[in-house]
Amino acid sequence: MIRKGFFQDWGVLIAFIVLFAFNVFRPGSTFLDPENLRNLVSQSAVVGLIAIGMTFVIITGGIDLAVGSLVAMAGAATVLVLNKVGPSGASTAIFVALLAGVGVGALMGLANGLVVAYGRVAPFIVTLAGLAGFRSIAMVLGDGGEIRSTVPSFQNIGFGGIPLPAKTANGEPVMLYWSVVIFIAVALLAGFVLNKTRFGRHVIAVGANEKAAHYSAIDTKKVKVAVYTMLGLLTGLAAFLLSARMNSVGTGSVGLYYELDAIAAVVIGGTSLRGGKGRIWGTVVGMLLLTLISNMMTAYRIDTDWQGLVRGAVILIAVLMQRQKEA
Amino acid sequence: MPILEVRSISMQFPAVRALDDVTLRFESGEVHGIIGENGAGKSTLMKILSGLYSPTEGSVVLDGSIVELDGVRAALAKGIAMIHQELNLVDELTVAENVFLGRELRRGIVLDRTTMEAETAAYLAEVHATIKPDAKVGDLSVAGKQLVEIAKALAVNASILIMDEPTAVLSEPEAEGLFELIRKLREKGVTVLYISHRLKEVCDICDRITVLRDGKFVGTIQGSEASPEVIAGMMVGRELSDFYPPKIPQPTGDPILSVDGLQVPGHVQHASFEVRPGEILGLAGLVGSGRTETAEAVVGARPTTGGEIRVAGVPTRIRNPRDAMKHGIAYVSEDRKALGLILDMSVIHNLTLPSLPDFGKFVTDQGKELECTESWKKRLDIRAGDLEASVLYLSGGNQQKVSLAKWLQTGPKVLILDEPTRGVDVGAKREIYDVIHSLAEQGLACVVISSELPEIIGLCHRAVVMREGRTVGEVSGDQLTEQSLMHLAAGVDAA
Repeated sequence: MIRKGFFQDWGVLIAFIVLFAFNVFRPGSTFLDPENLRNLVSQSAVVGLIAIGMTFVIITGGIDLAVGSLVAMAGAATVLVLNKVGPSGASTAIFVALLAGVGVGALMGLANGLVVAYGRVAPFIVTLAGLAGFRSIAMVLGDGGEIRSTVPSFQNIGFGGIPLPAKTANGEPVMLYWSVVIFIAVALLAGFVLNKTRFGRHVIAVGANEKAAHYSAIDTKKVKVAVYTMLGLLTGLAAFLLSARMNSVGTGSVGLYYELDAIAAVVIGGTSLRGGKGRIWGTVVGMLLLTLISNMMTAYRIDTDWQGLVRGAVILIAVLMQRQKEA
Repeated sequence: MPILEVRSISMQFPAVRALDDVTLRFESGEVHGIIGENGAGKSTLMKILSGLYSPTEGSVVLDGSIVELDGVRAALAKGIAMIHQELNLVDELTVAENVFLGRELRRGIVLDRTTMEAETAAYLAEVHATIKPDAKVGDLSVAGKQLVEIAKALAVNASILIMDEPTAVLSEPEAEGLFELIRKLREKGVTVLYISHRLKEVCDICDRITVLRDGKFVGTIQGSEASPEVIAGMMVGRELSDFYPPKIPQPTGDPILSVDGLQVPGHVQHASFEVRPGEILGLAGLVGSGRTETAEAVVGARPTTGGEIRVAGVPTRIRNPRDAMKHGIAYVSEDRKALGLILDMSVIHNLTLPSLPDFGKFVTDQGKELECTESWKKRLDIRAGDLEASVLYLSGGNQQKVSLAKWLQTGPKVLILDEPTRGVDVGAKREIYDVIHSLAEQGLACVVISSELPEIIGLCHRAVVMREGRTVGEVSGDQLTEQSLMHLAAGVDAA
């Protein structure tokens, strides 16, 4: 017999495996081509990085709605700095641009965290302000439009990577993009931090019972500031990778709805919005599941107008499957 | 024929077997005491009877036929009502609205307030309460709320009332009133299942008394044959002779912690006391006298507006529990469920939470954590099957031991224990006294906050008494009697 709570624990993985198998065994499927699999992960990588940071924030009982706008702001900072430093050497410029993107992200995350922890404002409100504010700053920086990179080698970051032992149709090796490499590394590191370190334990304790955590000599405010800063940093990193791939930043459109996708991935992955409980692998699988569904809808030519409805249904079903029996 | 029966009932939780093959019969119109240590299974049994849990094995038989009690409503529909320790009333509503909550009377689409209030008044009269049906429940005393709960049960024709520690929150005269009511209900044929830790009142009020131990049935005796000694013996399976460990001589060294004129806005005006290494100091006083707030301020969990704290003679600022821990002061909260423990976390994770830095600077050595928890489990005889399972599944006494171990692991010099035996059964009580005693012997300074005067007298070298936010006196040696403590606590000049 299936244990009670089995679907609560493993539902997301089962759903992913079922859809994965469906794609593999479809007649004439090219799904298992290395290039196709790489694409699946690479389409998940940018929002996936944000979702990993979001997992920590949600485990503390918080939420961050500002990440989508922060992608635009940190992306704008990345490309502006890149173009400014560009004349003194491409690799220096790219490095400084990385620092700028990640730095801006971390700094804004820090600001969110400080207001949440020390200003005692609800995270929903603080980051709702960020959602409006960061986008606005990005658009001011970009004069309301696109900022294009003037450093040609910037895009090598977006399309470069580690060559895999497989060839594409035109005989070139399939590249494991840097964004994918970083996504995998960050996911492994985050899982380790959450489950094996003192900080991870503190994050869970704060989310499970903030007052008891405070009584247990935990600096609950510092923990909160740390998770928002970490999320900001990862958002900055995601913005850098995204602008490298696009070779530009569309300040009005980039990162739109990323907060929703990231939160959806976290929740589908089995992290409780009430806090105190969560898992990184769940978020990663949740992210891959969302991408897979979206790719399938495109493959089956489902009108984009309808795709949002399907995504909404998936989120709702996932949460219904995982809901706890009421006490 | 018994009105209610449980047949070979067992309840298996992930970590513990809370009930093991228990068979009991309750006769119509009797007051039946259910007694046992914490973790003996009485709460689980009551939750099964009131429809909160369904047993993993066995059956409930009502009036001769097997019933499924699927939820509180189903149990209520069959005439079984539970009066909870934490009363289940909505403070914002009136008495009548609470009594009719969920089954409001209507005239057309409008609530029929007049009829509901009239009927409520009748039920209130039945429980001899002088409460107005339109009074707001939030404005009532705890005793008043309890009467409303009972009236509410009568209003749905409950023939079996389960009372979980009903006197725990009542004053002496209020408790007397409740006993009077229970006797009257019995005359009407209502069956009362009465759970309490207070052995004397159980002997006084109950017709029959059943004792459970470790989830198993121990025996049922007639109330007329029962005495607290007999019951206590059945509960722990051994005779209780020396309840408190013998006192060690009062240490004379310099105080390790001195609190001088501490002020906590709204709660404490002036609290002063000091404690020496190896000493057990009692902090006595009535509920609400500011003892807990004083302790919380000492460990930095509450802001203070004045006063001085000296650790080993050195004035020290303690702004939060981390500062307190650094200076070797630990506080074991009276509120295990909200402040002392994180119920969703495992035994191991709770136990090591404050001392986590000792298990690795950044990465936590989980093998060492398990080892440490195992050793505390042995040392304090913590009865937990699975240390990875949530502390939620442990009994009150065992939760208290985890709470204690959690702070002992930080290696404190001063340990403040707030109501260390509240909601803890007789057997575990003695064990906790032994632990406190041996800690003091090893040189730990202990401050014990307790509302049970015998506990203060039996355990402590000295006691400081608080009244209305002030420390008002100190007694020690031969002066340490219930009378002297009560006089100070209540503000009556000692004769």
